[in-house]
Amino acid sequence: MIYVEVGTRSLRSFDTQLIFAEQLAARGFNVCIDADYLPEDAGRGRIYEAAKFLVDPGENKAQTVFVLGAEEIDDFLLASLRNKQLAPSVPVVATGRFMTQQSYIAAKARLAYALGREAQVIDLTDFQPRPVLPSTSSPLVADVRPVLRRSKRVVPNVTLVLGSMELDNPETLSCFSRMSSQSGYNLKLIVSGAQNEAIKASPFHDLPTYLYTGLSPLTLAISTDILAMFGNGIAGVRMAAFAVELIATGGVAIDCTDDEVLMSSGAPALLGPKTPFALDGYLIGNVIGNVPQIVEQASKSQWLHTVDISRLETAAGLTAKQRQSEQDKRKTLFFPTNGVGLGHAQRCSIIAREMPDTMTKMFAAFPSCVPLVRREGIDCIPLVQRADTKTNSDGNDVLTYRRLGAVLQENDTLVFDGGYVFDSVYRVIRERKLSAAWIRRGLWPEGRSRQTMLRRESVFDRVIVPSEAFDELNDAYSYGDHVHYVGPIVRQVEQSAAEKEQLRARLAERFGRDFKQLVVSMLGGGVASDRSAQLQAISGMLEARDDCLHLVVTWPGSTVQPATFGWKNTRVVQTLEATKLSLAADVVISAAGYNSVLEMLYHRIPAIFIPQSAPYLDDQERRAAAMADRDLCAAITEREFMTLERTVADWLDHDGAEFYRSALNGFELPKTGAVKAAELLTELGARI
Amino acid sequence: MLAFGRSNTPTIAYVIEPRFSGGTSAAVAAELPVAAECGQVVVHAITSRTFGTNQHVSPVLRQVLDDLNIPIIWDAPRISADFVFLHNPSFLKFQDTLGTRIIARELYVITHENFLRPGGAEGFDVSSCLSQIEASTISLRKTLAPISPFNRSGVVDWLATSRVARQWDVLGSDWFNICETEVSAPCETPQDRRGRHSRPGFEKFPVIADLDSCFPSHSQCNVILGADALLNARVLRAHWTLLPFNAITVQEFFGMIDFFVYFTAPTWQESFGRVVAEAVAAGKVVLTNPDTGATFGNAVLTCQPSQVDTIIADLIAQPQKYHDQVARSQSALQNYSAGKFKAMLSGVLSADSGVNK
Repeated sequence: MIYVEVGTRSLRSFDTQLIFAEQLAARGFNVCIDADYLPEDAGRGRIYEAAKFLVDPGENKAQTVFVLGAEEIDDFLLASLRNKQLAPSVPVVATGRFMTQQSYIAAKARLAYALGREAQVIDLTDFQPRPVLPSTSSPLVADVRPVLRRSKRVVPNVTLVLGSMELDNPETLSCFSRMSSQSGYNLKLIVSGAQNEAIKASPFHDLPTYLYTGLSPLTLAISTDILAMFGNGIAGVRMAAFAVELIATGGVAIDCTDDEVLMSSGAPALLGPKTPFALDGYLIGNVIGNVPQIVEQASKSQWLHTVDISRLETAAGLTAKQRQSEQDKRKTLFFPTNGVGLGHAQRCSIIAREMPDTMTKMFAAFPSCVPLVRREGIDCIPLVQRADTKTNSDGNDVLTYRRLGAVLQENDTLVFDGGYVFDSVYRVIRERKLSAAWIRRGLWPEGRSRQTMLRRESVFDRVIVPSEAFDELNDAYSYGDHVHYVGPIVRQVEQSAAEKEQLRARLAERFGRDFKQLVVSMLGGGVASDRSAQLQAISGMLEARDDCLHLVVTWPGSTVQPATFGWKNTRVVQTLEATKLSLAADVVISAAGYNSVLEMLYHRIPAIFIPQSAPYLDDQERRAAAMADRDLCAAITEREFMTLERTVADWLDHDGAEFYRSALNGFELPKTGAVKAAELLTELGARI
Repeated sequence: MLAFGRSNTPTIAYVIEPRFSGGTSAAVAAELPVAAECGQVVVHAITSRTFGTNQHVSPVLRQVLDDLNIPIIWDAPRISADFVFLHNPSFLKFQDTLGTRIIARELYVITHENFLRPGGAEGFDVSSCLSQIEASTISLRKTLAPISPFNRSGVVDWLATSRVARQWDVLGSDWFNICETEVSAPCETPQDRRGRHSRPGFEKFPVIADLDSCFPSHSQCNVILGADALLNARVLRAHWTLLPFNAITVQEFFGMIDFFVYFTAPTWQESFGRVVAEAVAAGKVVLTNPDTGATFGNAVLTCQPSQVDTIIADLIAQPQKYHDQVARSQSALQNYSAGKFKAMLSGVLSADSGVNK
């Protein structure tokens, strides 16, 4: 294992470690960073970046040690080196920019004191006399290689780093907005926190902005074809590393900085306009049509030798491993968010079933969904559920990121089914250069920020929207060729009259009591909305009916209130076959989730819907109301206990459900969309 | 400014960076009274970048200067004397000019800090420091004065590969540290009570495996004074008593041990080793590496960390041997007395300048 250490600990130097570690990892080496280096104020982005490298001190035996920023060495580094008790054969290579011979000698001596032997100290000023960012502890090196860019892109990706640019001129953002809207290139802006706030507070809040720590420099370089840097100097080590990596891998860098910092370092960059107002014309007129020629000229620059990472690898006796050119077989991985219940996972499994057997499919899912997926015969990577803690509530997503990153390779396809696009999903798609699809249900509740929800849509190649059964529920949230609407996706089961009777008989046997009437309640696991009062009311009213069996049906693993177990006519059933129970029931009382409503509708099962109303759920009240408006169900709000009791009694005693059953039987169902969705995904997976 | 000391004797200017907190200031403090007996002494302090801009003076030095009524002259533009003794040129390592003109018949640069580390790597930017001195000095002769055998070998080896070698002579005898601390008798019956003390720098400590060999779990006690770095890095052993630097007095520390086991990082070497002399004076048997031991001749036992256990076991089994070793050590300290130093200094002051009169 290669350890990447740094002379002094700070947020900036941690960036240095991360950048170099990622570069070595990309070259095929096993790299790690002592977790002790993680700064307390690392911030969300860095934590994701660091997650794949951090190890507990002493967890792994060091085979090589790199020390960055050796021009300034503190006792933490020396202690770290000494505690590793490195064998004499372990190379220790230190890099630094030494302004004086004394600082070089001092660094060499201090390292030698800690190690008990001499380290190999490389003075970067020897081969980088004019570094892009003189003050950084980063060696600012890169894997110099030609990269096939724009393989999947019709137009180039242009990234603007605003640097120290002031945004007080309102015309500036207006200019970016115009650039963002034209069709000759895709624009994104890399901004500071303050710039981001200013943009979000402006009328141009939908500009595609990314923070400096939003993605790693390597990932930015992969997804950028043309980079333009503004401001005075370079905005920190991350942006410097981004520029170096981009140029080294055949991208085009345009130096728009006030002090022409890229040009003065000798980097093969273009000298661009110093104002963004002239940039669009410069890009369209001078750059975009001439990219191959510009890249060819840049590739001849001697400057590339000064940033070649292999120089450091050679010093450490490392040989870069052969890049894995082609994986054996591309795979499609479904990542359903469980949300409440298993709806996302069920929808994904329905689509997966419709895809050709020749395609390699797998799932990554939260524990509650794993049995559902595996019973379909599909491999599933278990993920970790979000922990309800204040300190690290997103910790599970970091783990998800690690697990997705471990299984997915370039050109695989990731299918995400959920609302909010997690950092893990966004990052893995970008970093692994995946094909990606977003299965995005509609019917977002009032008040949900559309901007927040759609912020990461651009990372997906396709958005697949499973429709609702009723047109008025199919709101459109984004537009474009990449958005595909498919019919409702619903799991359909068949149950004959005989099978229905057999199931009722099995239930009687299972629970040791005969019954004439079967009531099924599926009000959710209590996570989104507490339905214990409604369940108690239903259980209570059915208690006096000796010929009635009341089943409280939940997904396996759901939490069930203890009070539910206190009724003699009520039993709890945790099953993946709720539809079959519903088909066998006389009365079904259900929440109005997407799957529940469609299953009732497509199986023509009359139901009493009690919508749930958590802010992160879709708008169940609208869905239930659409059904009720067509007399396809009874819809009751969570507060209407008397209505609930009266309706249940009416359905049991006077066959009140018959009215709805007739309406359901006469209703023309829209064509389901699983096959279409599967086709879209198959096509995406086959594309490179 | 009048020089302090006897008239009609040579004028001696000390050029020092008085903010060195360790051996250099202690060594200068010990030799100043002797020098004052031999000549008229002035003390010039240089404000170097190594220690910043304040004008703090090391306490041990301040005490002696007060006793001798010698004022410190800070950053004089010109220093003139028959003899100029510039102590520890490494204080110039973070700058490129010595802002003082030195005019002397003889300049002696006392090389407290080793020019070369074990293995031959430079200890500091020697060339830069000596060049600054050379460029600022007009003298008949410039001499480097090593303070110990190891220190001398570094000076000689460095000069052998340096283009400035011809500018410098090397003093034939060592400009040793005066060690005149009070001598204590050894304990009656030595026990396996081991310890070491030093400043807490990483260079002062061997690798952890060697530290484990020197201070094993089976010894009665292991006291490490100056263990700040070990404490900070959580390098802890149940059988170690780790104390930060200055947590107890040196006298208290010596009261806790019978064997002073002193190894440093193999890439660093004490240039003199006052700490060893103090342990000997305190009546302890000292075990150390051969290069450190070379300064003190047979005053200390030299060995490798892996041999420490055997040597200590042998001396505990034979207390008389222990007593003999301490006696031998303490008598060897006579070589570092003020009297011996005065003899060495007299030789320096009376030496022929080599210039025809």
